Amino acid sequence: MNAVLEVSNLRKTFGGITAVDGVSFDVRDGEILGIIGPNGSGKSTLFNCVLGQLQPTAGEVRIDGKPTTGMRPCDLNRLGVSRTFQLLQVFPQLSVRDNLILAGQEHQGSMASRLFGRTDAGLGDAASQMIEFFRLSHLVGEQAGSLSYGQQKLLDAAMAFMAGPRLVLLDEPAGGVNLTMLSNLRERLQAYHAERKATFVVIEHQMEFVMALCTRVLVLAEGRIIAEGAPQEIRRNPVVIEAYLGH
Amino acid sequence: MTRAGVIAVVICAVAAIVAPFFLKPFGIFLISTWVVLTIAAIGLNLTLGYAGQISLAQGAFVGIGAYTVALLTPLGVPFFVAFLAAGLLCFAIGWVLGYPALRVQHHYLAFVTLAFTTLVFLVLRNEEWLTNGIYGITGTARPALFGWKTGGARDFYFLCLGMLALLSFATWWMLRSPWGRAFIALRENPIRALSLGLDTRRYTLMAFAIGSSLGGLSGALYAPLVQFIEPNSFALGLSLNLLLMVIVGGSGYFFGPFVGALVAVLLPEWLRVTHGYYLIVYATAIMIMMPFCPSGLLGLAERAGRALAGSRALKKTSMHTEGAGP
Repeated sequence: MNAVLEVSNLRKTFGGITAVDGVSFDVRDGEILGIIGPNGSGKSTLFNCVLGQLQPTAGEVRIDGKPTTGMRPCDLNRLGVSRTFQLLQVFPQLSVRDNLILAGQEHQGSMASRLFGRTDAGLGDAASQMIEFFRLSHLVGEQAGSLSYGQQKLLDAAMAFMAGPRLVLLDEPAGGVNLTMLSNLRERLQAYHAERKATFVVIEHQMEFVMALCTRVLVLAEGRIIAEGAPQEIRRNPVVIEAYLGH
Repeated sequence: MTRAGVIAVVICAVAAIVAPFFLKPFGIFLISTWVVLTIAAIGLNLTLGYAGQISLAQGAFVGIGAYTVALLTPLGVPFFVAFLAAGLLCFAIGWVLGYPALRVQHHYLAFVTLAFTTLVFLVLRNEEWLTNGIYGITGTARPALFGWKTGGARDFYFLCLGMLALLSFATWWMLRSPWGRAFIALRENPIRALSLGLDTRRYTLMAFAIGSSLGGLSGALYAPLVQFIEPNSFALGLSLNLLLMVIVGGSGYFFGPFVGALVAVLLPEWLRVTHGYYLIVYATAIMIMMPFCPSGLLGLAERAGRALAGSRALKKTSMHTEGAGP
């Protein structure tokens, strides 16, 4: 199966601290890869280097075989790469519907055509479908800032899918979400994956969430990959238990 | 917009059209100043209120626009060509001034734009060969439009009002388009906006350029309105006054600059009845207002409207409950 994302010898240092230390991995088309590791293991820094938020010190990133190291996040997004952040990142003053339209509008026509074209950039129906898919229909006109934390997490995830991305990187999607909302979120992600065959990379601390969602798991510790395999193998791996699970 | 909002806008528009027929020349001059400065405040509201980029340079752009028209029209350049040139020149300078905003934000950016205002003031004052320095430029001719001469105060007011209507419509069109959503995204969360494919660099520059261009167009009307321009009129005081208009009216509200400019232009005049105390009363009123309604007068009106709607709904519910009781 083709690799959608290839990361080779990626390294990122901040002064004397090495946050990511020569990490290499591939993400295959249609898989859900989980990345776990204790706090400070370099997961989010790795994401930020892959997604252009940070310039890596060394190494290379390729999307569909094309070198994308150091590319700006907006250009990566237009290549079909989308993400969520560790902390909630919705636009609180915009409605749920406008948040979703915003998430897809830059993929519609040119800047000039967006000025003179339709207010919804032709995304009204797509936004409605996404709202329905993530079961937010009853909140469509509400300001995103007035939603509960869990609802905002769902909206945050929905925004990442709005432009129909090829690769989605989810940074702690389950963080701070209650159990009911968590199972809803996991079920929606699985349904989206089954329907659209999208490729996901998920950073998460919530082990049950990772084990239930991911087809393969990488374990990071101190900026290096210490284990890789199927979720059940990782659960039994003594190195992982020692470094991360602690039991 | 709600039905009440539409009715309020229509009433205000009608009032703006009939007002000069009931006012003396100084009154017409004041409402003309309101109209002209509203255009500059709309530009600043776009840059600051929607796109979230602080600017203390809007007064300088009004100055650049005013001097462009004052210098070009005596050379035989038709007023409307000079008017467009003022807008285009400020667009270009605003685009360049936007570059620091790509690297610094908030008070750092405020200082960059403050330095620009000082620079423009120094050029206007010191480059006498071009600007006539502190002696200023007098007698910028008021234009004629398809044979309609706007030399009279009332005619020129209607020309300015027409320009305000045109530029407001253009701004409204832009803000209701995906660009408006992108500007708000830039203000609320530029990092997330970038990750969703928004070229935040281009939108930031565009917000600065368009806002500055509106400042220039305002200045292009200001020169023929006041008939005498000199560097001090466009020093930091004007930029701060325009900032006050945006904040007092309601930053990020479409009609905020209209209300803010009305307060900033008319209130000091109304307070003249207090003689030497008017500045003290004006300053105190602003100081009291800011902590209680930081979202400006339109923010206050919105809050009041919501509270009223809430109490009505509560009353309706309690009446319904009482009616359904035993």
